[in-house]
Amino acid sequence: MVNLTIDGKQVTVSKTATIYDAAKEVGINIPVLCYAKKLLPYGACRFCLVQVEQMKGRLIPACTTPVSEGMVVTTTSEEIQKVRKTVMEFLLVNHVLDCPVCDKGGECDLQDLAYEFGSISNRFEGVKFDLPTDEINPLIERNMNRCVLCGRCVRVCDEVVGYGSYSFINRGFETKIATAYDRGLNCEFCGQCVSLCPVGAILPRPFKFKARPWQIKEVDSVCGYCGNGCTVTLGVLDNKIETIRFNDEIGVNDGNLCIRGRFGYAYVNHQKRLTKPLVRKEGQLVEVEWDEALQVAAEGLSNAQNGQGVGILSGARLTNEEFFLLKNLAKTIGTDHLDHSGGECYKGVSEGLNETLGVKASTGTFPQLESCDVILAIRSDFWETHPVVGMVVNQAIRRNDAQLVVVADKRGKLTKLPRARTLLTKAGYELSILNAMSKVLLDEGLAQVDGLQNLDAFKAALSEYTPENVAQQTGVDADLLKDSARKLAGAKKSAILLAYGLPYTAQSKELAAAAANLALLAGIPGRAGSGLYLCGEKANSQGAIDLGVLPAGNGLGAQQMLTAAGEGKLDALYVIAEDPISSYPDRQMVEQAMDKVGFSVVQDLFLSATAEKADVVFPAASFAEKEGTFTNAERRIQRVRQGIKSPGEAKTDGAIISALANKLGNTLSFTGEAAIFAEIGKDVPAYAEFNYHEIGSQGVVWGGETLAPTRRNLVSVSAEQPASADYHLVTGSALYHSGTVSVHASGPLAVMPEAYVELGREDAAALGVNDGDLLKVAGNGVEIQLKAKVDNRLPKGLLFAPYHFGNAGLNKLYRGEAVVAVSVSK
Amino acid sequence: MFKAIAKGLSITFKHMLPGHSTTVQYPTVRLKMSDRYRGLHRLVPAQDREKCVACYLCPTVCPAKCITVESAENEKGEKYPKVYKIDMLRCIFCGYCVEACPVEALEMTDAYELANYRREDFEFTKERLLK
Ligand code: SF4
Ligand code: SF4
Ligand code: SF4
Ligand code: SF4
Ligand code: SF4
Ligand code: FES
Repeated sequence: MVNLTIDGKQVTVSKTATIYDAAKEVGINIPVLCYAKKLLPYGACRFCLVQVEQMKGRLIPACTTPVSEGMVVTTTSEEIQKVRKTVMEFLLVNHVLDCPVCDKGGECDLQDLAYEFGSISNRFEGVKFDLPTDEINPLIERNMNRCVLCGRCVRVCDEVVGYGSYSFINRGFETKIATAYDRGLNCEFCGQCVSLCPVGAILPRPFKFKARPWQIKEVDSVCGYCGNGCTVTLGVLDNKIETIRFNDEIGVNDGNLCIRGRFGYAYVNHQKRLTKPLVRKEGQLVEVEWDEALQVAAEGLSNAQNGQGVGILSGARLTNEEFFLLKNLAKTIGTDHLDHSGGECYKGVSEGLNETLGVKASTGTFPQLESCDVILAIRSDFWETHPVVGMVVNQAIRRNDAQLVVVADKRGKLTKLPRARTLLTKAGYELSILNAMSKVLLDEGLAQVDGLQNLDAFKAALSEYTPENVAQQTGVDADLLKDSARKLAGAKKSAILLAYGLPYTAQSKELAAAAANLALLAGIPGRAGSGLYLCGEKANSQGAIDLGVLPAGNGLGAQQMLTAAGEGKLDALYVIAEDPISSYPDRQMVEQAMDKVGFSVVQDLFLSATAEKADVVFPAASFAEKEGTFTNAERRIQRVRQGIKSPGEAKTDGAIISALANKLGNTLSFTGEAAIFAEIGKDVPAYAEFNYHEIGSQGVVWGGETLAPTRRNLVSVSAEQPASADYHLVTGSALYHSGTVSVHASGPLAVMPEAYVELGREDAAALGVNDGDLLKVAGNGVEIQLKAKVDNRLPKGLLFAPYHFGNAGLNKLYRGEAVVAVSVSK
Repeated sequence: MFKAIAKGLSITFKHMLPGHSTTVQYPTVRLKMSDRYRGLHRLVPAQDREKCVACYLCPTVCPAKCITVESAENEKGEKYPKVYKIDMLRCIFCGYCVEACPVEALEMTDAYELANYRREDFEFTKERLLK
């Protein structure tokens, strides 16, 4: 700690603090322009100049100068003000000052500073720029005439996002920010540069000229897409979400978002949203009143329950409170067949982690990742499924020199990070590599084996998995594998990352168990700062597991329900917030289930492919239209808040489920989300310590920052041999989409409008395929056509297709296997 | 005392003489308003559009909350007021809107004959204000 005096006030701060940080500590505000909390000190603008007693003769930038013992700092004096005013004049020499038509007007740092310094005239004269606006992409507009060269966009895109779109070009007066070859912006559109630009030089296009910042109502909520659980601040105008506002004061994401959170809100206002309940009459779905629809649904479901039973299939977009009501409804109906997210995919958490560690959740929290020394990511897709955690990994590398090891079948954003080490394996062999790493730790005596159960059996089961064997099988270099294992074991703080979700159902339990075994041997679970992260694909995947939206007792899981329904052994299906026909593995099976089942109810935002086959369709509300809580992939319970009213007669899932339960004779009712949340605590002890109204802006983490395992049990798991063929197809998540909802959102669609199949240059050359050609991909006896996308991410023989686009029919081919053996032709 | 009364009455009687009345024979006679008079608003036209750039400063400053602006992008990519209207029934003719306008697109004329029969007629749309 260092002591110093600022404007006569004594301050004690850590020795890494800057003068600016120290001043802020005691409530002294130094004007800044290029400084940003989340970026490294830079010192571009010189607004923050202060006087330091010990450094007489010149003024010192407060934002870049570290504190030192006994410093005496003056932050305002006539001289300082004069200099700052001059800085302002310099900035305004070539600033266009088109505030009336600049969307930043009203929240522009330059405006605020000009106002503060009372700058109304300028002693200097210069030519204003007249550069063309960069509008080549549909999401972000750049007007470099307004740029003040603070470098915040350049830095955030590099330091945080890891993309590196921008750089300064030219010299002196001509300096400007440009993209590669000044061709205009074409990037991953996370919008971080939009958030950080202090002026109106980078603006969100969908919000162009829509409103002034002061007209907008801000509602803090949680992103409805992935399990990252980023807090978003909805910008609402006239019951419509017009934009997402930058807010780094709340939540765990430090204001960072990905394209889905930043630009993917538009589906909420989509014209095709369902607004009235539908009931099938004479083969057609027709609009009816709520009461009728509920009555038909209630009768259908209770008849089915008296017959062969009802299966309930939920998505993971419901709030915890709605999940609770859903469980209640299942009890009222009397069915044990309750499941979520297609079943298999979350088994890594509910079974894999449970058997090894005795917990059903990630053991660490995301902020801890940033200070990890070694991070092992399983699959390169983690950045695509959870982009903002990816940004934390990027910062761990850039700021704290973390070593990243990626076990992946393809390259991706993670493998491109600085010093990232990629163990590039043949597709489907991740499990073998994890086992081999465990074996290395055991053989070399690096493993922490105290208190581990089943050690001997585990050792025996690993005998086959020597690094050399595995290297031969997978194509990974044995020495690299060994060294990576050693690094993981040697680190004080380390993390293992694995995402789960619908496209990753194969061997999910086994893969998670293998990761947990390795984590145990490396001493990760329960150690402060380290963590095993098994992250759910959807906004409330973890909540669904916590609340137990799982088959109970003899209940059937998702896949069994669908199979049973297809075989005529289940009489009704109730599908909520999910479009199984578009997204579940094995479409034929799902279609057959929907066709054969006697009665089906679907509850969704849109008339999905599944809803089209239903007997009753309930119009549901989106995340922006309801109150409640989501639990993100690191166990953080956060408040979801209503920003707008639902379109037409759409109701929240909770309201629909309650009304249906009522029709079925359950008279239980709750006075709002807080009461339900309190009730959840009775079932789920981990939630009992929290009060709904006391969940603050950072949320609350159940189980503490480091979740202690209740068991340390090694579970031997063996790898399945993936089918062998010339071409293998893997599916997964794309960065621009999440689940099937984002295909209704104009932002993500603008960047990735349709399905595609990606292949490496080598294969493309061999097949004579160019970008955009139609490719026939056949496997599992089915052939589909997809547009080709050629790049150098994929090794020879591997194809990748994202699973979001139901109309492409990828899940006709993909039946839940790790890799699909396919043949490809033009 | 009588002197004072006589003086006072002389002023009174003087005003009764022709040509000394302050009453104007409205509507046959109309006064010329002062240049600073704050009457009906006018949107100043520019070459091919209104001068207004839809910056929202007038609706923001208006104490009567009677200005509605909706901005949009025109074919040239410029910001323009797709909707601009003033509800004259609520306007208090304070002139703040004119003062707030950064591009001098709004002024107040000397028109004060604003009476009308229907409420709708007090809504001055962009087209009416541009006249
Ligand atoms: S960037 Fe700020 S100062 Fe510049 S035109 Fe826009 S609002 Fe005005
Ligand atoms: S949107 Fe994101 S990726 Fe694109 S330039 Fe801005 S910060 Fe970089
Ligand atoms: S574009 Fe914005 S963030 Fe980037 S340097 Fe210019 S002013 Fe700063
Ligand atoms: S999709 Fe996930 S990573 Fe992206 S903003 Fe939403 S919660 Fe964050
Ligand atoms: S004159 Fe005053 S009350 Fe009338 S529109 Fe202008 S600001 Fe509003
Ligand atoms: S804020 Fe310190 S130099 Fe810009």
